[in-house]
Amino acid sequence: MNEQQAIDLIKSSLQKLVNNGMLSKDTVVSPEMVLLGIGSPLDSIGFVVFVTDLEERVSHETHKDLYLVLNEIQEFNVNQPHLTIAVLAKYIVQLSAGQMA
Amino acid sequence: MKKPVAQQVMVITGSSKGMGKAIAQHFLKEGYLVVGCSRGATTLDEENYHHTQVDVGDETQVRAWVRGIKDRFQRIDVLVCNAGSVQSALLMAVTPNDILQTFIRSHILGTYYVCREVSKVMVGVQSGRIITVSSLGVPLHLEGTSAYSATKSAVIEMTKILAKELAPLGITCNSFSPALFLTEATNEMGKEWAARLLEKQTIKRAVSADEICNVISFLASPQSGAITGQVINMGLVS
Repeated sequence: MNEQQAIDLIKSSLQKLVNNGMLSKDTVVSPEMVLLGIGSPLDSIGFVVFVTDLEERVSHETHKDLYLVLNEIQEFNVNQPHLTIAVLAKYIVQLSAGQMA
Repeated sequence: MKKPVAQQVMVITGSSKGMGKAIAQHFLKEGYLVVGCSRGATTLDEENYHHTQVDVGDETQVRAWVRGIKDRFQRIDVLVCNAGSVQSALLMAVTPNDILQTFIRSHILGTYYVCREVSKVMVGVQSGRIITVSSLGVPLHLEGTSAYSATKSAVIEMTKILAKELAPLGITCNSFSPALFLTEATNEMGKEWAARLLEKQTIKRAVSADEICNVISFLASPQSGAITGQVINMGLVS
């Protein structure tokens, strides 16, 4: 999986939130969009729904049992959370390539 | 995308014996599709019962099991987190580390992993009922249950927090503490132990499987959608 494919999966999960009314349809989705942290349009439960949906899409796409583990994301500091689409996409690429522990 | 099965799906951990097996049998009769697990092989041979050997204290096994349920049935309506251990009651000063570790693994880790993974399935459809099993040892502060009751107390705490976290999605989480329920495991604890527990209960008799299943039915019903984060202590005024 490459970064663009990962971003497309992320966008699909965000679209599901829009469809569920958990995210405004006017939300601008770009690689710099903050998913978790100050500036994120997602509330905590919206983030859970997003991660759960994305995990399923990534596993389905790669035909592997993969799980998103936030503290594995090297560029994401859990003490100062600021997770963007670009950072998450990079992590998904590494995860699907089997490069995470 | 596969379509969900038509029947309601109930997941029960620790379903090969004792209370878990009785719960599985009851809800199979009620028309549920029941998915159970235990560390050992199945002891139920029913058309709508599906068993997997899982150690609930093993995160990898739990993840694979729950994902398998999701893939196969496309829904989990009710989770009964029953798996647990009952072992000889010893005062804290002489409780061996392996007993403490067993309780931590089955009660705390097991409940945490199973609730976490099943809640993800429920979050996806924004509905579900999570029911955990606690113990009267918690409100009674029973001597000789420091490890057991401490870990069951943790089950209550995680149930209440999960209840608050999932309330916006219409998912409820509740716990119940059965009074003395006679199983092989409780029989092994001895008559003296059972008599001591009965003495401390308000209703001084063992509860039946039907009485336990009635509590689960109540908590699992659609009409209980406004009840969450509660603990039902059976046979006890606490």
